[in-house]
Amino acid sequence: MGLLGESYYFFRRAIKKLVRNPIVLLFSLIQPIIFLFIFTQLFDGFANLPNWGQIAGVTTYLAFAAPGIIMMNAFSSALQSGVTMVDDIQSGFMDKVLVTPARRSSILLGRMMADAVRIIVQSVILIALALPIGAVASNGIGGIAAVIGIIAFFGLAWAGISHSIGLRTKNQQAVFSAGFLLTFPLMFMSTMLVPQDLINRDWIRGVSQYNPISFAVNAIRSLMILPFSSWGAPNWTALEQSLLVIAGIAVLSLGSAILAFKKVVE
Amino acid sequence: MPAIEVEALVKVYPDGTRAVDGISFGVEDGEFFGFLGPNGAGKSTTIKMLTTLLKKTSGKVAVSGHDLDKNPQSIRRAIGVQAQETGVDEDLTGRENLELMGHLYGVSGGQLKQRVEGLLKLVGLEAEADKRAGYYSGGMKKRLDLASSLVHSPRILFLDEPTTGLDPQSRAAIWTYLKDLNRKEKVTIFLTTQYMEEADRLCDRIAIIDQGKIVASGTPSQLKTEIGADVITITMPESELVDHPERREEAMRLLEAVPGVASVTAFESGVSAYVRNGGSVVPDVVRALDNAKVNLGSISLSSPSLDDVFLKHTGRRIRPEELKKPGRSMMFGRRRRR
Repeated sequence: MGLLGESYYFFRRAIKKLVRNPIVLLFSLIQPIIFLFIFTQLFDGFANLPNWGQIAGVTTYLAFAAPGIIMMNAFSSALQSGVTMVDDIQSGFMDKVLVTPARRSSILLGRMMADAVRIIVQSVILIALALPIGAVASNGIGGIAAVIGIIAFFGLAWAGISHSIGLRTKNQQAVFSAGFLLTFPLMFMSTMLVPQDLINRDWIRGVSQYNPISFAVNAIRSLMILPFSSWGAPNWTALEQSLLVIAGIAVLSLGSAILAFKKVVE
Repeated sequence: MPAIEVEALVKVYPDGTRAVDGISFGVEDGEFFGFLGPNGAGKSTTIKMLTTLLKKTSGKVAVSGHDLDKNPQSIRRAIGVQAQETGVDEDLTGRENLELMGHLYGVSGGQLKQRVEGLLKLVGLEAEADKRAGYYSGGMKKRLDLASSLVHSPRILFLDEPTTGLDPQSRAAIWTYLKDLNRKEKVTIFLTTQYMEEADRLCDRIAIIDQGKIVASGTPSQLKTEIGADVITITMPESELVDHPERREEAMRLLEAVPGVASVTAFESGVSAYVRNGGSVVPDVVRALDNAKVNLGSISLSSPSLDDVFLKHTGRRIRPEELKKPGRSMMFGRRRRR
């Protein structure tokens, strides 16, 4: 049986667990839904700025923020992935699996495929909620598909960090806290909720510009609001850059997760 | 070919604890072999090393003829393992748990279906097979766990305290399955336990392990006859033992002088005397102690148990401790227990 075959069994198990605990999926949707429905109304006044349309590329704040909020969910959801690993170690399931001849890597691979599915399902729900209330999808289904693809890739990259923390600390609380500590500053000091040009403080603007979250958010925002017909070279470059940044994070975080996993296996 | 061969096996944990301190033993094909010892004796550490879960510090191990260092993957294919923690997935049904393990062992299709049915029947979980394991009782989970370690029909089975924490009925049920597996299907079984009765009833041969070392080994009856035909157990009042510890020594001296007493060992609440012909020696023992004004709590005569064997070799009694598991929480701290 190949690596993919074995990973599939772990993937299927993780999906079954997810379907049987739908609360886990919905729980992490609460915060982005509040942001989508209330936060966007609170900051609606941004759109009254004289040059808002030029800065944001859209007329309403909601249309600007929606891609950021969808990414916010992917980010915080990915950073909770490690909890499941801790659960498997504590319950003894991990040892049970480790005495089988199944490949070690398939355990992590199957788990991460399920993480990606979870994030995709959540993103589809959020997009479905956001479109009727004013989010824009200028590139139709194709654009949305590309957005979801990037989000899944982004989610996988960050899930690796969470798994790595879970495997190293074997402590669920640590996974939660680390996820929270990472999400908050990285989220707010990015272009997730505020356009780059509206940030006055130089240092925050600097952080925001090089924040890995911003690269990803900018890419999916362009994909959602800017029709491909009007894309220029800078837009394509931005998309490439964002994919490179996510790939970089993926290499680091998956490398770290694999190392942590090897330690557990020993 | 022996099923398990262990030579000078050592495990030193990073904090310096010598959990397993140079043990050597062998288990024959088809044998039911037991590791008896108290909590912390090194039983789990040994089983984890033999089942490829934990790296040994030094020593040689071969399981089913495969060298542990060179060929752990072949060992994994040959063995079934039931760990101390029941590793069943509580979100999956009993059947799904078995199927998942089957898949990981490369069993699939009709063969797997048949095997799963057979195992559900064996452990008496047919009626609950399609309920989630989270709703199972502790005994049912243990039975499911046992079944899932058998899904690939291993010839060697490792069981780490398979009945710890179970009620007497569940324990008896598991004993029956294990006996059948060993006698009828000729599966070699390596079992660890802190229960004398379990080792006594099930095992062809046992090794008594204490503080990382094997202190005695043999068939249960061999071990028991080695220490004498009968045991006289004398307890002394606690106040006496605390205030006059020298009284215990005095009692031991007196007992050793009684004709027919082979040897004497002290334990926490008194002394044990191993004798060749208990019935006739008891009056002499009582007389000797009474003459010396040693206060007695109680006196009893029994055939030696494995506990006496353990006491004889370590100076302590095995007190089985129930497992204290860390609180297992489900995803997001939800608990599901029954």
